[in-house]
Amino acid sequence: MSAVVPLDTVASVNPVKAVYAHMDCLMTGIANLKKAGYNDIMVMSPMPRHEIEDAVYEGEPSPVRWFTLCGGLFGGTMVFSLMAMTSSNWPMILPGGKPVVSIPAFVPIMFEGTVLWASLATLIGLLLNCRLPATDLPAEAQDPRFSNDCFGIVLERVGAHDESKIVAILQASGAIEVSGGSSTHAAGALHA
Amino acid sequence: MKDLSYNDVNKDVLRPLFTAEFSYLAVLATTLLVLGAGGLCWVYQLVYGLGVAGYHPPVFWGVYITTFVFWVGIGHAGTLISAVLFLTRSRWRTGIYRAAEAMTIFAVMTAALFPAIHVGRAWYAYWLFPYPNQRQLWQNFKSPLMWDVFAVSTYFTVSTIFFAIGLIPDIAAVRDATKGFTQKMYAVMALGWRGTDRQWHHYMAAYGFFAAIATPLVLSVHSVVSWDFAMADTPGWHSTIFPPYFVAGAIFSGCAMVITLMLPLSLLFKLEDYIHVWHFEHLAKLCVFTGGILTYAYGTEYYIAWYSDNQYEWGTFMDRVYGNYWWVFATMVFCNCLAPLVWWFKKVRTNYIGLFVVSVIINIGMWFERFNIIASSLSHSFDPAGWVYYTPTWVEWGILIMSFAWFFTWFLLFVKIMPSVAIAEVKEAMRPPVKFEGEHAAK
Repeated sequence: MSAVVPLDTVASVNPVKAVYAHMDCLMTGIANLKKAGYNDIMVMSPMPRHEIEDAVYEGEPSPVRWFTLCGGLFGGTMVFSLMAMTSSNWPMILPGGKPVVSIPAFVPIMFEGTVLWASLATLIGLLLNCRLPATDLPAEAQDPRFSNDCFGIVLERVGAHDESKIVAILQASGAIEVSGGSSTHAAGALHA
Repeated sequence: MKDLSYNDVNKDVLRPLFTAEFSYLAVLATTLLVLGAGGLCWVYQLVYGLGVAGYHPPVFWGVYITTFVFWVGIGHAGTLISAVLFLTRSRWRTGIYRAAEAMTIFAVMTAALFPAIHVGRAWYAYWLFPYPNQRQLWQNFKSPLMWDVFAVSTYFTVSTIFFAIGLIPDIAAVRDATKGFTQKMYAVMALGWRGTDRQWHHYMAAYGFFAAIATPLVLSVHSVVSWDFAMADTPGWHSTIFPPYFVAGAIFSGCAMVITLMLPLSLLFKLEDYIHVWHFEHLAKLCVFTGGILTYAYGTEYYIAWYSDNQYEWGTFMDRVYGNYWWVFATMVFCNCLAPLVWWFKKVRTNYIGLFVVSVIINIGMWFERFNIIASSLSHSFDPAGWVYYTPTWVEWGILIMSFAWFFTWFLLFVKIMPSVAIAEVKEAMRPPVKFEGEHAAK
């Protein structure tokens, strides 16, 4: 995510949550918050949507790819070393002068080692970058509707003088519920 | 297909969980019973040794290796559907990939039993893995059997990670729909997943990489399995056609098994809105395609055996048709080459009975194909003095049936514990709800 803009450094801070039933309203909410300079937002969704990713990350790639690459390179090298060193340690006398460290015969296991370690490293990269297991998410993000049929925006640190402006942006964008801050701002009925 | 909302998807997919209909319990009890009975066959073999199997020199590979290859092959369709079709953005993958992926894991778990059963002294199976030991002895990494250990264990690990990662958002959905102790259990498994932008951003990147990593495994694992045979100079095995021929066969049998498993699943759990005849039709087409490759490979094998003018090679291939195992060969040709041809007719491949019956026939045929390769070649090798007729004993048949019970037990447990349709991906494929159509509408 892009750089964090401190919402308020002096006054007390409260989280604000908006719940959306519609994708277009959510996208309007994200765009308008960013336009107003509020970049430190958390967007919840029950499924992956490229629109959300593009709006929040603006094309910034995930560093998981480096984990995959490094894991693959490590795995291939490690497994080749294992085979070469153990074969040299127990050199079989082969007819026809065939080499003890035989590259073609090692290719299948080198491939498997590359794939195995690329996969394990991707798993580690995923867990680290997603910060899983996630134990520090605010209560506002833990709404069961976000795994069902609603989208959400949570701003964790909203200062007193920003609150009314943010709430206004969220309500104007079409949120079905805006809560948190110093009060709750219901906006019409919940989803059907 | 009715117009579904996101909420409908959650409700429909989570409905079968944690309920146990009588029919479900009856099937589960049956598989457990068979598993127990088959397990006793294995115990009998462990106590009395491999002599209770029908091995007869020079045939020391039989039902166990046949069944091992069969189950590894079954797994391939799951990876094809979950990884390859993900990368090619095939829409028909969404509804079926979760159960197909589960099938892969359970099929490989079943296959993994067989090297241990086959070697007899299963408690020495750890000798297959390289570790510093007091015998100062290392594995022979130039052996295709060693390649296979690495191929299958890597395949199992990668498939399991891919499967588990795919499950996380759906486990979070189960957590949010349950209460009490159940919720706590799923909360632990969901790893605190809340579908935040950060989580999805890295998740989708990683998922793409997992798919890309798993894709070459679809081709490599069964190629390596085929080298268990092709690297030996036994007549009927020593052929460069084996890797593509085995991979096509694996996808062929795997797709048939997906149909066999998912047709009853979709009907019993009323998931027709997610897994419908359209999906099965695609699978049937894939079977027709790979079955065509297989038939071509069978033909090529015979042509090359004749064209090589090698009497041992040609002798073995003629023995397959006219020798003791003619009935195995005939079953294989009927089930794999002829039976799937009825799926050229749209009426048959869009009919549930037509789909189910032919898929079972293909599964039978693919088991016999591996038996045909293994038993006929070994029992009719170079030296006529060593020609024998290997027939499996009741212990081997018992263990074969146990493998099916083991596989189905896992699958039955899975469908009641985890969502068998990928909730998040079904929603991703749906048009998101929008308030304003036109210029403000979401893409």
